[in-house]
Amino acid sequence: MATQTPGVVSTGRRAFLRWATAIGGAASALLAGVPALRAFLSPTFRHKREEKWIRLGEVDQFDPEVPTKVDFVDAVHDAWVETRRLRNVWIYTADGETFRVYNGRCTHLGCNYFLDEEKHVFRCPCHTGFFEIKSGEVLGGPPPRPLDTLEVKVEDGILYCRYQDFHLGVADKAEA
Amino acid sequence: MPVFFRWLDERLDLVRAKRELLDREVPDRLTWWHTLGSATLTVFVVQVITGTVLATYYSASPDHAYDSIQFVTREVASGSLLRGIHHWGASAMVVLILAHMIRVFSVGAYKYPREINWLLGVGLFIIVMGFSFTGYLLPWDQKAYWATAVGTNIAGTTPLVGGALVALLRGGSELGTATLARFYAFHVLWLPLSLTILVALHITVVVRQGIAARPRDLEAGAPKTTRDPAYPSYYRAAYAASKRGGVRFWPDILGKDAIVSAATVLLLVLLAVAFGAPLESPADPTDTSYIPRPEWYFLPIYQLLKLVPGSLEAAIAVGVPTILFLVLVGLPFFDRGSTRNLLHRPLALVGLAVLLGGAGFLIGAAGRAPAPTSEAGATLTSVQRAGRALYQSQQCGGCHRIAGQGGEEGPDLTTVGFRHSVGWLHSFVEQPSRFHEASRMPAYGPPALSHQEIEELAQYLATLRGREPTPAVPPQFYDTFPPPRRP
Repeated sequence: MATQTPGVVSTGRRAFLRWATAIGGAASALLAGVPALRAFLSPTFRHKREEKWIRLGEVDQFDPEVPTKVDFVDAVHDAWVETRRLRNVWIYTADGETFRVYNGRCTHLGCNYFLDEEKHVFRCPCHTGFFEIKSGEVLGGPPPRPLDTLEVKVEDGILYCRYQDFHLGVADKAEA
Repeated sequence: MPVFFRWLDERLDLVRAKRELLDREVPDRLTWWHTLGSATLTVFVVQVITGTVLATYYSASPDHAYDSIQFVTREVASGSLLRGIHHWGASAMVVLILAHMIRVFSVGAYKYPREINWLLGVGLFIIVMGFSFTGYLLPWDQKAYWATAVGTNIAGTTPLVGGALVALLRGGSELGTATLARFYAFHVLWLPLSLTILVALHITVVVRQGIAARPRDLEAGAPKTTRDPAYPSYYRAAYAASKRGGVRFWPDILGKDAIVSAATVLLLVLLAVAFGAPLESPADPTDTSYIPRPEWYFLPIYQLLKLVPGSLEAAIAVGVPTILFLVLVGLPFFDRGSTRNLLHRPLALVGLAVLLGGAGFLIGAAGRAPAPTSEAGATLTSVQRAGRALYQSQQCGGCHRIAGQGGEEGPDLTTVGFRHSVGWLHSFVEQPSRFHEASRMPAYGPPALSHQEIEELAQYLATLRGREPTPAVPPQFYDTFPPPRRP
């Protein structure tokens, strides 16, 4: 440094180094801190609800007026652990063209209801709730709301439903 | 002065702290090489920040470790970038700490009065290597598993205590769940704690002793050795004189530190973006055909082990690092000359050149060597691996020899895959006397081995086609079978 006289460090150089400290420190903090913070906060802004269309079967296999139960294994992603749960839905069609698919859990407390063939109603064994097959309306017992219908679609002669669970024991059908 | 700052200052005496830490005068004309220590510290802080967040998405169990790494890479915002920074940061720690040590060595800054800080630095270096070794296992992929298997086996070659050492490292006799848990605990609890304490001591000592001055400022008119009773007073005067330039720690030194640190962090981010962090297929403890290569900073010892006969294995694998460690620890106590400039210390210069040249040569040799292959020159399938396990459990090696390993009673099997088909091998192993009446080989047909086991063995034997992979030359054989036996 030709301009530097002994004992005095040039003020221009000092000013530059002062700025360098501030900018360099801030740059380091941002470069490492931003990805770290983003990753840490990731669960709060990532609400990736996957569309889960369940294949229920060919349309032809569901006879009109006959409720059919379909069991399926649902893969549940719990962060990096994948667990499997057995779920079921009931399918009802009056004409073989439009379908109603009910979530297989009773809206009262989540037991699996079954088809009472004598009385031709759905009946929940836990607390004796009754539902009408065509509409899912409550016919008797403690259930607070009708059976939960699911979104359905037919593609290439195959019936699908979008499986969802709803809050149980309340009158409003709200996604769980 | 703002009210809040004055309130704090009355209680904490911040003005004095600033005067002693930031405004302190330092020796004149310090080089950019002096920024290596602070850059190492910066990367350590980056490792702590990235590592802490990675730990929130990690599961230290062989069942879930690999999946959790995939989860953080694919599902977490910036997760892949974060892993990349942490991966490259690990290498950067090693590079920077080595460069820092070489710098300190070159200017004789381990000499009086800095012997203690040199020892603290050696401790920090050991801890950083410990971080590398433990962190390597955590992704639980093939490389992680097999490199750690080899690494812990090397510790096992230590005379007398080898077996106990392996059990201690692995938390059992086998590499598995307990190993992963203890490596994780060391990586995120013990080692960071130890490193933080040693770094605090290291920096405290630097602040108390001041930054080392240029060699030439401490050499003119110095007593010949630092053991000379006159040396301490000479040193005090020479060091005080070196501060006359009026250079202050802040901003004159800290500014340069900040520039180099920021450039280093930027480089890490760029490397992470460009290359990410590798992840191989999940660890498969049954896949004995996988041949691991260690991370680059362990390559010198890896390559050295290839060059020495097996009988010297323990001496090299344990001896060389131990000797290096003892040399580093003993250095400030044996080298008492007052000369500090490396160019005027021929022995030190030659020693450093040999060490760096040797390590560089070995890394280069390891880099040029073709990727290691199994004796078949190909990856074995699960059936072939089962056959190999049978080959070992049935003691076939007692009579037969593969690639120089095994007995000489029976035929050498190194290239048997070129001479016979799987079907022929199966029939032969089942009942050798059908092929050669005088064969001394016992029949391995049921009940000795089931047909499935014989088939596995035959499949494995068919892969034995010499050491070098020769995919271009298909095996040619005209196997003759004995006539079928009449009932």
